[in-house]
Amino acid sequence: MMRALAFAARSLFRQPGRTALGILGIAAVGALLFDMLLLSRGLVVSFRDLLDQIGFDVRVTATDSPLPGGVRLERASEAAAAIAGLPGIAEVVAMRTATGEVMRPDRKTAGAGLTGIDPGIRRPWTIISGADLDAATDPPALVVNQALMDFLGMPFGARVSVRVTCSANRESPVAAPFTLVGVAQFPFDDEAQITGVMTRTAMRRACGEQADDADMLMVASSGGTTAAVRAIRTARPDLVTVTNEQIVARVQTQGFTYFRQISAVLSTITLLFGFLLITVLLTVSVNQRLAEIAALRALGFSARRAAIDVLAQGAMLVAIGGLLALPLGYGLSLWLDQILKAMPGIPAAMHFFVFEPRALVTHAALLVVTALLASAYPMWLVARLPIATTLRNEVVG
Amino acid sequence: MHLSRRVTVALCCAAVAALSSTTLTQPVPAPEILVSRQLMESQHLRVGDEVSLSTHASGADPQRFRIAGQYEPTPDPMRLGAQRLEIRLHLPDLLDLSTNPVDPLDAETVDAVNVALGDEAAARDIARRVTTAIPGVFAQRTGDNERRAAPFVVLERFHLAIAIVTVLASSVFLLALMLMLVEERRATVGVLRLIGFRRSRILQHVLAEGVVIALAGAAFGIVLSVLMQGGINQFFQWRYDTALVFVRITPAVALRSVAVSVPLGVAAIFASSWSLLRGEVFALTRR
Repeated sequence: MMRALAFAARSLFRQPGRTALGILGIAAVGALLFDMLLLSRGLVVSFRDLLDQIGFDVRVTATDSPLPGGVRLERASEAAAAIAGLPGIAEVVAMRTATGEVMRPDRKTAGAGLTGIDPGIRRPWTIISGADLDAATDPPALVVNQALMDFLGMPFGARVSVRVTCSANRESPVAAPFTLVGVAQFPFDDEAQITGVMTRTAMRRACGEQADDADMLMVASSGGTTAAVRAIRTARPDLVTVTNEQIVARVQTQGFTYFRQISAVLSTITLLFGFLLITVLLTVSVNQRLAEIAALRALGFSARRAAIDVLAQGAMLVAIGGLLALPLGYGLSLWLDQILKAMPGIPAAMHFFVFEPRALVTHAALLVVTALLASAYPMWLVARLPIATTLRNEVVG
Repeated sequence: MHLSRRVTVALCCAAVAALSSTTLTQPVPAPEILVSRQLMESQHLRVGDEVSLSTHASGADPQRFRIAGQYEPTPDPMRLGAQRLEIRLHLPDLLDLSTNPVDPLDAETVDAVNVALGDEAAARDIARRVTTAIPGVFAQRTGDNERRAAPFVVLERFHLAIAIVTVLASSVFLLALMLMLVEERRATVGVLRLIGFRRSRILQHVLAEGVVIALAGAAFGIVLSVLMQGGINQFFQWRYDTALVFVRITPAVALRSVAVSVPLGVAAIFASSWSLLRGEVFALTRR
């Protein structure tokens, strides 16, 4: 095998220009293929990572919609207390969302997405500076993201007026005062998003609402997700439980399906392109070397050995091109990721192209299969080469 | 100006889940609704059926409606992959169904008012005047929703980037092919040079051949894409259960692809032929 590889290497390096272009072409195709493999699962992997970072693995809602803003769960505190008492549950936190207008002392306002959350140990955000929410703060505490902090430009402890709108059809009549206590990073914020978080009680008061509603209960299990879901369903069959895995699966089949489709289409096209490239390169190369191959056969090279030589040439082209494709593809994926992340509503921490070891394995496997298929025709040509006729044609020609 | 009397309402999943077919008969005819094709199919409904709708997750306080017809939802790229389980009601019926009795303003509130203008060109100006004249109201021309268009602008950039990479890879492939093609003609070019053909004459011949091959290749590519677009559209329309058009080969797209591929093809032939034309004639004929 080593001798076949060495012989193939000599054949390739005899025509450096052609070989270099072939390798470059395979590297470009391989880079695109690698990127499409990263794209095919990138959003899902990234989305799952974000969900896992939050620290809650089950969501309890009134309906089967896992996203906030739908039909609200009534008597949320009672439901949270009931679920918190179940075995295998570490923590339950009620959460609701609203929109609002945050006002600066100079009367300038900014629209913000607001979250009201009950006190708990786990927080679905990371404090960057200042303090976290404290139910005892008066006026109620407000933690904001960096974009809102930049807009406000106020020190911690300052009073901020927020007009909270809890229902799309009803607006809060007056702005309520809050105490700016900290800046946090919210995992699902996009680059331009303005976000603030307060206690759920403070949100209800600011809205002027009496109802103890929540968009969802976020549940952290202590004995595994399956056991927690089973316990919740038994205790509260009227509520809907959704695990992180189920959310990811749902989003995979609905939200991110476009990118999986485009990844599948482009992967197929690039593989077809790579197949054509290698087949043409090897076939033309073999056609130009027919006399030489016939001479080698006449000297004692077996048909198998000549065919292996062609296969080895194909393998070397693909191996070198495939290796070059990895750094090239990685660089390309950074550029493409940057383009796609400009899409509104995509959290800043999410990525479209995410590396997984399985992408590398699939990439290698697809290139190997392509190389084998692409080498088949030139190998067949070599194996069936009529030695005497070819040599005579060469001499006569 | 004409105020639309009907609003399109996408009821949340809970309301859909609470929907159930009934066969009650009442002396007073139930109000009419239109149901999306997807919802009709998923719930096995038929035109003329009576259904109950509720805005509560528990299905409390249901109201009866009669299905007057089925409609195909307007294709929306932003909701690709989402099941379009939707119902259209007359505005008074919707307000009656969803109004909060505690809030007297609720029955007077709508999400948006659609306005059809006699002169479409004045839309932007009228939107600006309405916004400034009525406090708390934001008016905009339908096509001016930048936030809605933003994802497609990004996708267009992404497709352009992919196209650039593909063109680069194709160029390398083309160059390699041309190099091999020219290599095969080494002897022919040598003979032509020996019998008196000048380099410029051979170059003209090579370039003319390049233009013909590039044009033929571009034409073949366009014909192939035109033939494929129907299949691609049918597949994705089936896959996403939508009437959206995914691929449309327009004359502008065809011209753009010719404008890129033909010069690239000619350049590849020229670059690969250059070394051959610069070579010594005896080297070409291997004498």
